[in-house]
Amino acid sequence: MKLIPQRFTEPNFLLRLLVIWRMVFAALAAGGILAAWLIAALPLWQQILITAALGLAGGFSLAAIPDIRRRNHRGRTISLFVDYLAFVASAVILLSVGNVFVGIDALGETFSRGIPALGVILLGYIITTTSEFSPRVNTIAPGANYLDIAGKWVMLAGAAYFLLAVQAPSGLLYFLTKILQPAGLLALVGVLVFGLGLWMMGNKPVANEMGSHAHNEQMLSGWLFLSPNLLGFLVFFAGPLLLSFYFSFTDSDAFNTPHFIGLANYARIINITFRPLSSATQLAKDLVDIKTYDEVGRLIFGNTGILFAAEDKFFWLALKNTLTFALFAVPLSVLPALLLANILNSKLPGMKFFRAVYFMPSIAAIVGISLVWQWLYNATVGFINYAITLGVDFWNNLFNAGLIDPRIQWVSDEKTALLAIIIIAAWQTMGFNTVLFLAGLQNIPGELYEAATVDGATPWHKFRFITIPLLAPSTFYVLTTTTISAMQIFEQVFILMNPPEGPNNATITLVLYLYRSGFQNFKQGYASAIAWILFIVIFGITLIQFKQQRKSGVYEN
Amino acid sequence: MKHNVLWKAISLLVVAMFLLAACGPAATPAAPAIDVALRWRTRPDNQEEIKVYSDISVGLDTQLDGITLAYEPGGTEGANYQDQLRAEVAAGTAPDVFWIPGTDVADFATRGLILNIAPLAAKTDGFDVNAFYAGPMAHLTYNPEGAKSGADSGALWGLPRDVSTFALYLNLDLIKEAGAPDPRELAKAGKWDWNAFLDVAQKTRALGPDIYGYGASAWWGPYGTWLNAAGGGFFNADRTACALNTPESLAGLDFQRSLYADFDVATPYGEDPEPPFRAGKVAMFQNGRWATPGVRTVPFNWDVVELPNGPQGTPGNWLFWGAYVINAKTAHPEEAWKLVQALTTAETQGKVAALGANIPSRVSQQALDAFLTFTPPTNNQAFLNGIADAAKPTAEGPLWAGSWPEYDKVVGPAVQSVLTGGTSVADFGATICDEANKVFTK
Repeated sequence: MKLIPQRFTEPNFLLRLLVIWRMVFAALAAGGILAAWLIAALPLWQQILITAALGLAGGFSLAAIPDIRRRNHRGRTISLFVDYLAFVASAVILLSVGNVFVGIDALGETFSRGIPALGVILLGYIITTTSEFSPRVNTIAPGANYLDIAGKWVMLAGAAYFLLAVQAPSGLLYFLTKILQPAGLLALVGVLVFGLGLWMMGNKPVANEMGSHAHNEQMLSGWLFLSPNLLGFLVFFAGPLLLSFYFSFTDSDAFNTPHFIGLANYARIINITFRPLSSATQLAKDLVDIKTYDEVGRLIFGNTGILFAAEDKFFWLALKNTLTFALFAVPLSVLPALLLANILNSKLPGMKFFRAVYFMPSIAAIVGISLVWQWLYNATVGFINYAITLGVDFWNNLFNAGLIDPRIQWVSDEKTALLAIIIIAAWQTMGFNTVLFLAGLQNIPGELYEAATVDGATPWHKFRFITIPLLAPSTFYVLTTTTISAMQIFEQVFILMNPPEGPNNATITLVLYLYRSGFQNFKQGYASAIAWILFIVIFGITLIQFKQQRKSGVYEN
Repeated sequence: MKHNVLWKAISLLVVAMFLLAACGPAATPAAPAIDVALRWRTRPDNQEEIKVYSDISVGLDTQLDGITLAYEPGGTEGANYQDQLRAEVAAGTAPDVFWIPGTDVADFATRGLILNIAPLAAKTDGFDVNAFYAGPMAHLTYNPEGAKSGADSGALWGLPRDVSTFALYLNLDLIKEAGAPDPRELAKAGKWDWNAFLDVAQKTRALGPDIYGYGASAWWGPYGTWLNAAGGGFFNADRTACALNTPESLAGLDFQRSLYADFDVATPYGEDPEPPFRAGKVAMFQNGRWATPGVRTVPFNWDVVELPNGPQGTPGNWLFWGAYVINAKTAHPEEAWKLVQALTTAETQGKVAALGANIPSRVSQQALDAFLTFTPPTNNQAFLNGIADAAKPTAEGPLWAGSWPEYDKVVGPAVQSVLTGGTSVADFGATICDEANKVFTK
């Protein structure tokens, strides 16, 4: 006897139910939108977000109805998508209400209590594995033996022991008590109802009734496997991206309800002015309204020049420093990497060791690296200046010369501070770029070099006419990614410099300024506007690189 | 069949293991239902301080009836304690009670992030704002609505955890080797002024190209003392405008500039002076009481002396402080207020001060006497001289009429440019307040 009467599992009956469900779903979505605007006192951005999400879900739900009625597979696809997303959202809300995500913060501590139990599970696994060497007893299960079964029971016991050790029963009890509140129960109902919707539309007879073919099932499976990544992208990347775009038009300070202020943030950033100087030392306040503008810099030609002032001078200083940094750091981390990769591509003994050595800075923690360099750069007791002093003394003693020890103030002199950052960044990125070039070099067929040798080509000719053209795809990739990273320079500056802006703002960069504005001065709206301008700058530079690459035509060839 | 069922059961258990392991910790802090659970945080400077604060939390937990405490050591200053705290305040997950630097109080208060505890204090028997140093309390009782400070202002934003001030950490071996007079003796004789300071700095600097007479870090504290000592300062009297361009402020800055440029006695501005001091290459290292635990491990004879007197006859020192404040979103303001009071009793402050990094914020002879016993340095009195009324210290404080972080952002690089030779003092004076005053008008 079946638990569910057969007529309730008939495809037509289920599809009729699903049509009703889609209508109910659309009505619930509409109700949710109304509640967001009329009942709940939510910030504008949340109302917009809820309206967009529920509007899309409700709209698609309605759109699926005619297709389901016509047994068109498109209706099934839409229905599955909508119910799946709603199911995932309900499950996340349920776990959130149950404080599971808060618990994850302390998972390290809890989990460690269960580590001995993991040992028992491992023991069970070893017993199961060793069963391959003992005789099979088909009376238990096909292909099984006593050791196999015993191992699995040990694993089960270990898992149960683990659950007890991490206080899972009290955790479960806590979870259940937490979800016994309106939001939790609503989420639980959501999980059950959307799960039921998925089951109804997903089962085989319904799929057949909807005219599903193998390729439809493959497509749905593909989307299902992609969904964790896609949802992660939408929630943790695309969502915040759009939110920051909205915030860039507000005065958001992270604490109070943001107010829409139109383009004011952008207007402040790009409010700049240029004024001719009558003398090189003329004060900015004689030329511009000093209540609005600050001097960013001046270009001097003889006894005259041009004054550059801006409403937000820090943005323009940051942009200048970021571009200067990229201009030097990118070639310094790409060209040596190209040469190094050619050297490391040779088949000399010990090359693997050197490859690892050069790659190491790329995987070392950036905080540790910056702190080490901080010591190296110290002007009074740092190793770099110590080495320079030794060199100068050696030279003076050897040639009786009068060289003066420069005692470079690497991080405290505005003339060298950015250079100090460039050196670290280039040193750190070079190893990674070397590996990318190495991969590219190893894809160049050796026959080409052999043919060139036969034709009498010199090593330089081989490098110039074989290596460089055939390495163009790698070079393009390396250049693009290194440029993007350089435009986002932050950690090295933030840790190495004290204050991070450096002497006379010599090391203020766009991401640093963005961080300062958003997380230290509470101007998240303004920081969002800076982020979008940075995005436009990076996008523009990358676009130019792509166009140049296309123009050269090497990539396609 | 059984084979598959077993595997499925194991797989299900593994998923349940992780899910329930995550639920476990949430259920673990099984405080009795009648207790109010409070979280509190302060910025420790090192592991020893974390231990002291943890022990204090355990002690207060038993002492405060009906309150269960959880101490969360925040990041150190270098690890951006404030940034993390602000992010948590924004997310609504900040502790019930937390410590903030004195300069942040206005920002937190005007944004409504911390509670005005004046109504709670008014109901508390025996509570007296005058039990603490007047400088910090003037800022902590400032009511922006009436622009008024004091016990009857109607505002109380927190209580000071401790106070601190600058002193000069002396490398006595270097000073002796240079044949320079002992600054401690000069101070006792009332002869410790800028000229005497420069004399010691020059004599020690003459010991070698890698030996420096003076070292100070690049932030507003050290350069501010020179301005204050010359009779200048950052702000006008009611802290509503920039005063960096006054002749007194510029004179103070010019003297400091001369230490770097004209006399070349100081470690390069912007370089951390602590490593060379610890390496025995700096004779006088300006730093606060918080540096004492670190200095205790140096391999040479050392002590401290108060800052030298400037042209106005005072050293222009700061009275640094930070305060325990109550999260505006706490569900238990009354219990949080009890905790703030417990954290600022003479007994609790004594336990923290014993580490050597802090000076109690209560005006109490008993607390000061106890502080003097926390040696080395032998001359602990130098710190107390720095915060004594006679020295007229300037209490660090927030900007109620503007944004302190933005003011600092404008002024810091400009001062650095002067001290590293990029800008003249005259040019600095001609432009700095035009720019700095903007933070008051916003």
